Parts: sequence; C-alpha cells; structure tokens
Amino acid sequence: MSELERELFEQRLISIAKGLDYPRTPDIAVAVMTRIRPAARPRFISRRLAWSLAIMLVLVSSLLSIPIARAAILEFIQIGIVRIFPRPTEPPVDMISTATAGSITPMTATASLPSATFIPSLSLIAGETTFADAQQRVSYSILVPAYPPDLGQPDYVFVQDNDGEMSILVWLDPRQPEQVLMSLHLVPQGSWAIEKAEPQLIEETNVNGQRAIWATGPYPLRLHNGELDFTRLIDGQVLIWADGDITYRLETGLPLDEAIKIAESLQPIP
Amino acid sequence: MDETTLIRHAANGDASAWEPLVQTHQQAVFRLAYLLLGDPDDAEDIAQETFLRAWNHLKRFDQTRPLKPWLLSITANLSRNRRRSAGRYLAALTRAFRDEPSPASIEDKSTQYMEANDLWKAVQNLKEPDQQVVYLRYFMDLSVAETADVLQVAEGTVKSRLSRALEKLRAIIKQEFPVFIEEHEGREA
Repeated sequence: MSELERELFEQRLISIAKGLDYPRTPDIAVAVMTRIRPAARPRFISRRLAWSLAIMLVLVSSLLSIPIARAAILEFIQIGIVRIFPRPTEPPVDMISTATAGSITPMTATASLPSATFIPSLSLIAGETTFADAQQRVSYSILVPAYPPDLGQPDYVFVQDNDGEMSILVWLDPRQPEQVLMSLHLVPQGSWAIEKAEPQLIEETNVNGQRAIWATGPYPLRLHNGELDFTRLIDGQVLIWADGDITYRLETGLPLDEAIKIAESLQPIP
Repeated sequence: MDETTLIRHAANGDASAWEPLVQTHQQAVFRLAYLLLGDPDDAEDIAQETFLRAWNHLKRFDQTRPLKPWLLSITANLSRNRRRSAGRYLAALTRAFRDEPSPASIEDKSTQYMEANDLWKAVQNLKEPDQQVVYLRYFMDLSVAETADVLQVAEGTVKSRLSRALEKLRAIIKQEFPVFIEEHEGREA
C-alpha cells in the first residue's frame, strides 16, 4: 500500500467503524459506586474478607489439602525473609506465614504435580494481571530470567498486594502446556514472612555469590496469616535466595544447576 | 471541578469525586471491552472491574497524565485475561448460538451498520495485539500518542503495529468482504 492508499484506507476504516452498533452503555457508575461506598468504611475488613475468600478457594480447589500440622521449631537458616528449619525426626512441614492478615501465599507447583488439578486452580489464584500492570503496581523492579534463552515472558502473572506486594510469575511447559515449568515469587522485605520447615532435603548453594538454599519436597505447606490456617502438600523443589530487599523463591521441577542458571540470569524485562 | 482536581480528591479517598470520572469514561471503557470480548455482559463486568481497580490504585496513578488511556489500558489487560478463561468461551458460544440473528433481522440493519459489523468481524481475525491497536486507533478514535499510552509502548511501535495490522486487515477484507475493498478502490479512483 502506498502512503496515500494507506491514508485513504485508514480514513475509510474510521468512517465505517463509527457506524458500529454498540449495545447501550450500562450505568457502570452506579454499580461501581455501590461497590466502592460500602467498602469505604470497613475497607480493612472487606479486604481481609476478599483475601480470605481467595484463600478458601485455593483451599477448596486443592485436592492435596491435608490437616494442619504444627512443627516444633527451634533453629533456622535465614535467607531474606525466609526462615528454613532443618528437619528433625518428625514428619516434614513447610510453614509459610504472613505478618499481615489476609495475605495469601501463592499456590505454585512443579511439573510433578498432577496437571489436571493445577491448571484449573491457577485461575483461582487471586491477583492475576499482566506483566506491564504488575510492574506498574509494585514498587520494585520485577526481574525475569534470561535463561533459558527461549523461555520468554511468563504465561501468568499475579500480584498479591495486601500491605506487601508479592509478585508471582508462572511459566508453562511449552511441550506440555497443561503443566507448569516453573514459578518465581518475588517477595519484598516488610510485611511478609515465610517460614519453611523440615523439607526432605536442604542443600546450601549460592546465587551470584550470595548464600542460597535448595529445598526439596514432598512436604506439607502451611499457610498461616493469624486467622486463617491451612495446609497443603507441595511436591517440588525450591531455590531461595535474596538480592537486596527482595527475596526470590523459584519453584521448579528442573535440577539444581539449571535452577541456579535461571536465578543468575534474572534481569529487567528488555 | 476539572479532571485533575477530581482525580486528586478521589486519590485521597473521596468516592464522590470518583463518580463523575466513572460517568465520563464509562462509555469508552465499556465499548473497548465490548470490542475485545464481543459480549455486552462480559463488557459490563470488565468495565466495572476496571473502575474498581483504578479506584484501588489511584494513589499510584501519575495525576499529571490523562485518565482515559490508563483506564483503557486496564480494560485491555482485564479483557485479555477474560478471553483466556475457558468458561467464557463456552458461555460466549452458548450466547452466540442463542443470539444468532435471523437473515430477516440482518436485512433490517442499515448498510452502515452492516459495513461496520463486517469490519469488526474482519478485525477479529487478526492476532490479539493487532486487534487492540486497530480498535484503539480506528474504533475508539484515539491518536497514535494516546494509543501508545494505552498499550504502554512507543509511538513508533504503534505505527509499525498499525502498518502491519492494516496490511493483514486489507488482505482479510479482500478475501472475506471484497465489496468493501471494491468500494474503497472505486472511491480512490
């Protein structure tokens, strides 16, 4: 198309598009204000309730839910905001808690989780958004792995912002898109606290010269926020490291050396 | 009160300042969601969600920027997520089956409507990023700068996407709706 042809074509498009018969615009303002105004007074309670519902959805959706177990915790290894408790002789428990009420620790899985249960439950995780929106909403730079080179952008992005902006990036396995290849959590210093106890295996390693921990399941995962408390089984491997104020948690079915390469390749999105 | 003042008040928690802003932009938001989703019920849901999300994040909004591109950006993102929901496709299919217009009802529509509807159908054959840029630029009548703001890309990127989308759209129209091209070329001549 020549420049002139293009211009004429554009003008025609605009002219024709104006004739589109849109449905009458509903009164969005009334519906929105009804939803905003009741929330304005008990805002804190409503947010808590919303997050509680999200947590409950995850709980209900999980076929792997198990009764709550409480571990005796005496000593721990600290990486960023994560505390890892060595495994005694008791059954393992990976305990995750939040310092603020209502926050939800993202449910993630590895390739070893049954795909039929994981993908539907992805849609139940609160806070799905786009990468661009996530970056706009959080106060830190969301880094993504440059390795492997063909990884691309995450298939799912979540921001769970409840007085603590946790970002969760999820990549599906391109060869088996019903399965998760890996997920990366970025947790800022502050309101969140994660406690991981008694994984099957704890291996000290390093990422970019910084101390890191490689923990292997299966083990129960406990989510706790003061009022809500439930446990589900995680059957995966997690690499945990910190860089400045951000703690990273990479869940993947890939081996440790690959996980480290991924971790060391984090960079701002080009 | 002008828009900037209303935004400032709303960002400070004044819900009464948010209402006129919703009223001002609700049509654009609803229409973009409708274009992207093709279903008025879904579009209404997305429009509501857009204004609720914007309200919840107003403090972080750069108040020196116009509100509309930001709102449309949220709308586009939410619509994209909604399109990925398998349940929505099933519901849309059901509605499409239920609401399929009869030939008689189609005949009742004006030529202008028919052309616009054909154009919309043609755009739906494009890939999602191309659809977005075409809807924003030609259906929502946004400038290149505003479109770039909504899509959070450079103006040059918008221009190159438009160029690519137009070529594809022209090819689709030529194949599926040749009358449109014939009329267009007739007018050029």
